[in-house]
Amino acid sequence: MKTPDLGRVDAHEKVTGTASYGADRVPDDLAYAMFAVATIGKGRTVSIDTAAAEAVPGVRLVLTRFDEDELRGPGFLMGGGFAFQSLQPLLSDVVAYRGQPIALIVADTLVAATEAADLVRARYEIEPFAVGIDDEGATSVLQEEALPWFPDVKVGDAETAYAASPVQIDETYLHPAQHQVPMELISSVVQWKGDRLVVHESTQNAGALRHGVAAQLNLDPADVDVISPYIGGGFGSRNALQPHIGPLALAARRLRRPVKLVIPRRQTFHTGSFRPVSRHRIRLGADPSGRLLAALHDADHQTSRHDLYPAMYTEITSRLYAVPNFGGRQRLVQTDVQTPGFMRAPNEGPASFAFESAVDVLAYATGQDPVELRLANDTATDPVTGLPFSSRHLAQCLTRGAERFGWQKRDPRPGSMRAADGSLVGLGVAVGAHPVLVAPAVARMSAGADGRVTVGVDGHEMGQGIRSAIALLVAQDLGVPVQDVVVRVGDTRVAPQHLTAGAWGTATALPAVHKALRELRKRLGAGDTGTVEVAAAVRATGHGSPEVEVTSVGPGQPPEMLDRSRAGLFSAAGPVFPDFTAFSWAAHFVEVRIEATTRRIRVPRALCVADCGRVASPVTAASQVRGGVIWGISEALRESSEVDPRFGGFLNTTLEEYPVAVNADIAEIDFDFIDEPDLLLSEVGVKGLGELTMIGVAAAVANAVFHATGQRQNRLPIRIEDVM
Amino acid sequence: MRSFAYVVPDSVAGAVDALAAAEPGTKILAGGTTLYDLMKLGVEAPPAVIDIHRLAELTEISTGEGELSFGAGAKMAEVADHPVVRRDYPALSESLWRAASQQLRNMATVGGNLLQRTRCGYFRGGAEFGCNKRDPGSGCAALEGLDRTHALLGASDACIATYPGDWAVALIAFDAELDVVGPRGERTLPLGDLHVEPGDNPVLEHTLAADELILRIRVPATPAGRGSTYHKIRDRESYAFALTSAAAAVTLDAQGTVTDCRIGLGGVATRPWRATAAERSLLGEQLTMGTARHAGEVAFADARPVRTGAFRVELGIRTVTDALLTAGKQAAR
Repeated sequence: MKTPDLGRVDAHEKVTGTASYGADRVPDDLAYAMFAVATIGKGRTVSIDTAAAEAVPGVRLVLTRFDEDELRGPGFLMGGGFAFQSLQPLLSDVVAYRGQPIALIVADTLVAATEAADLVRARYEIEPFAVGIDDEGATSVLQEEALPWFPDVKVGDAETAYAASPVQIDETYLHPAQHQVPMELISSVVQWKGDRLVVHESTQNAGALRHGVAAQLNLDPADVDVISPYIGGGFGSRNALQPHIGPLALAARRLRRPVKLVIPRRQTFHTGSFRPVSRHRIRLGADPSGRLLAALHDADHQTSRHDLYPAMYTEITSRLYAVPNFGGRQRLVQTDVQTPGFMRAPNEGPASFAFESAVDVLAYATGQDPVELRLANDTATDPVTGLPFSSRHLAQCLTRGAERFGWQKRDPRPGSMRAADGSLVGLGVAVGAHPVLVAPAVARMSAGADGRVTVGVDGHEMGQGIRSAIALLVAQDLGVPVQDVVVRVGDTRVAPQHLTAGAWGTATALPAVHKALRELRKRLGAGDTGTVEVAAAVRATGHGSPEVEVTSVGPGQPPEMLDRSRAGLFSAAGPVFPDFTAFSWAAHFVEVRIEATTRRIRVPRALCVADCGRVASPVTAASQVRGGVIWGISEALRESSEVDPRFGGFLNTTLEEYPVAVNADIAEIDFDFIDEPDLLLSEVGVKGLGELTMIGVAAAVANAVFHATGQRQNRLPIRIEDVM
Repeated sequence: MRSFAYVVPDSVAGAVDALAAAEPGTKILAGGTTLYDLMKLGVEAPPAVIDIHRLAELTEISTGEGELSFGAGAKMAEVADHPVVRRDYPALSESLWRAASQQLRNMATVGGNLLQRTRCGYFRGGAEFGCNKRDPGSGCAALEGLDRTHALLGASDACIATYPGDWAVALIAFDAELDVVGPRGERTLPLGDLHVEPGDNPVLEHTLAADELILRIRVPATPAGRGSTYHKIRDRESYAFALTSAAAAVTLDAQGTVTDCRIGLGGVATRPWRATAAERSLLGEQLTMGTARHAGEVAFADARPVRTGAFRVELGIRTVTDALLTAGKQAAR
């Protein structure tokens, strides 16, 4: 059965402003916090003068150092901890990067806190630093040696097969650092209720916040509630404990007042994670018809000095095609920045830009049509494991997309197509893939005598529409109106709240909800299918409000993973499951037009055809595609976090100077879904969509620019000077 | 941000009195779109601001009697959307439409916009970055830094910050004048005399006295207005400062010969830049791709390329070329 076309269940709240985001709360007696941050690239604070800050009327606290007994390190998310980085500011005199907090000010008003933060003066001992991956002082390690649990993908003997290949492509690509810049600033309201700590923060990982801050402050996690019903854009920037929460909680305890912190936009460029710089050398060996014989993917990937943020680029580039020999080698380059992290399509975006650009080069080198070359290299089997893909409709994405886009009208010769106004026209194609991961989940469901059904489940509403997808599933299953379904997500009081990211949110929550529905039906004495008269059934049970609780895990996941999830630890599994490998797939088609003289690059239309399994919520899925494609266009043509190597840190730290795409940059975005459920993965058949929709867009744009101009673009963003 | 006194006069005369009595460094507040931003960044720290945004006598717009006149307090959005301006002076209207965002244009005034300060990242970035404009004698971090959008014309060894505005670039092409008022009464100056190049004192950006206030902007009527356009090239399609921009206006006789030509350059110079030699190169010529391009080359003949933004010399030439050809089409309509 296809899902009916219903809107967002929370649209009215969002549009009318009644949806309450993390820092919207203003409890009585609220105090306001602000950080003062380091103004050097690296070194130590010799002294911090806070006298002027303390003298500002209304200032209650100026904190520059916590004791290690009261505030412990939070641990790195990818190293068994809870936080986006292991470094906890305000524990020592070390300044690891520009913009690191060096003092926390709490005052009666935001104005006073801000003024005081500006008056904090530090004396520093400056040390040499390196921010760029090629800067003197940047050091590197091979990932497979430093992090053996994140091995490089290796299949067959890629070097030998490449050397023996009749056609060889060898290209190097550079992807810049980028920041997530969600509309909602990083912010929290922290409040003690007796010994109980309540954190209101828009987070994608309430579970890690709960357990992380408990570990930092030596609290029982059961005494910490984290509440995150809505998120004004996550994109990976809110996927872990942030270093402000511990200090904020301690300040609130000292003052016996709730404390709010909204980190200003400029500071967010240094206080949270970002997409690191990466460089990709892609070598493709093929026969003269373009059939791939070998692929090598060498990546250099920026990380911080204090954490090894792993690269996973080769996870998808080894699976896009039937490549019998694949050699991955990933190198981590340590620089003096905050730890980079997951920004929408963190690995897959840069990896697909590089790999799919090289595949386009191969198509031209062998005289093949870029769509046909991709179809000829299709595979139903995972070349890395030999397992079948749980579902792979990539060929259908390509053929359906080519027809819908009018690909056959394309003259393949570069520079051959012109618009009526003299602009160069280019059409480009690229594919994308995203691993399907599934996390354990807990779902609680209750039915009331008023006929309403309440479901609380693991998951966070980031705007992707998880609340709508859950409500739709319940409404359809029970045959109740969707407005009678109450969904509670992002709340540690109803479920552990494992990280929602990696496009696994819906695929994780829905199977648990589905299972809870089966149990609830039993409790209500209803059959396993068919419409349920909920109010009557509840009355017939003789109980006020029957409630069920179920758990679910990913395919083949041991039940112990639930214990990890309940402890706030990362516990998603995939994309390799015991009997299959699971990815979602997409084909992207892009038209660019380049002005004849001033060479502005425009994207009048883009098409995404996605295989994301069953489409759980058509309205929000469509929104996901538009958002993803816009992100891809912005990645390809706009965004770059600029570094002046003399100063460190990032320089363009405002929404004016950090150029995300604006409405005027975006024209027609068309899309289509294969909409075939992946029933090997789960009964619900949902894979993942949110990140998939941007993966391949940048390569399709770059390939279209090549088609328009004959110039290859191996570095993002592609700007006017690159096509002059 | 520091505490400051906030003064709200009820008339222009009251504003002049308040300004005369104010502490040094006091600022006039109109739309607030630049001043508040810079105060939050700590770049501006006035002891007092004098809020003139409610003074109705500053908001008059008139379009008759041989000139256009815009009260300094008129909003950018109002002037951009004025039917006479749109019809007879498209370059003026377009320069406003292509600036900032609708929200900002609804707040910002046409007087305040003339004095918008540079977007140089080192000027705005904080005390740790050398900037002779913000902190005289501290050096210019941009000279060896991220200079992709810095000035190609009118720069000095002390400062290469670009004047960011669009409106003044269009106005300068039309010989606009300013009426200003101070304790010594009113005076008039050409807009071309308002802004100054940085030289060895980049702090000084304009020639208004500390106690003077802009009353209105006047533009002499000219048939060249109809044959005009404002062409702005930037890193995205909206809400961005110019990489290069050009205000162009031409008058053509019946044979298509250029009898009047005006060219202003934006995004490339330390002040709104009038390209007079380029204008002269077109007088008496037919307007063709070749002559327009030649005018562009003349306009940038003295350009001193910045290290990472050298492409903007050629881009600027092409921007002028396209702007002139569009202006020519407008003139022939």
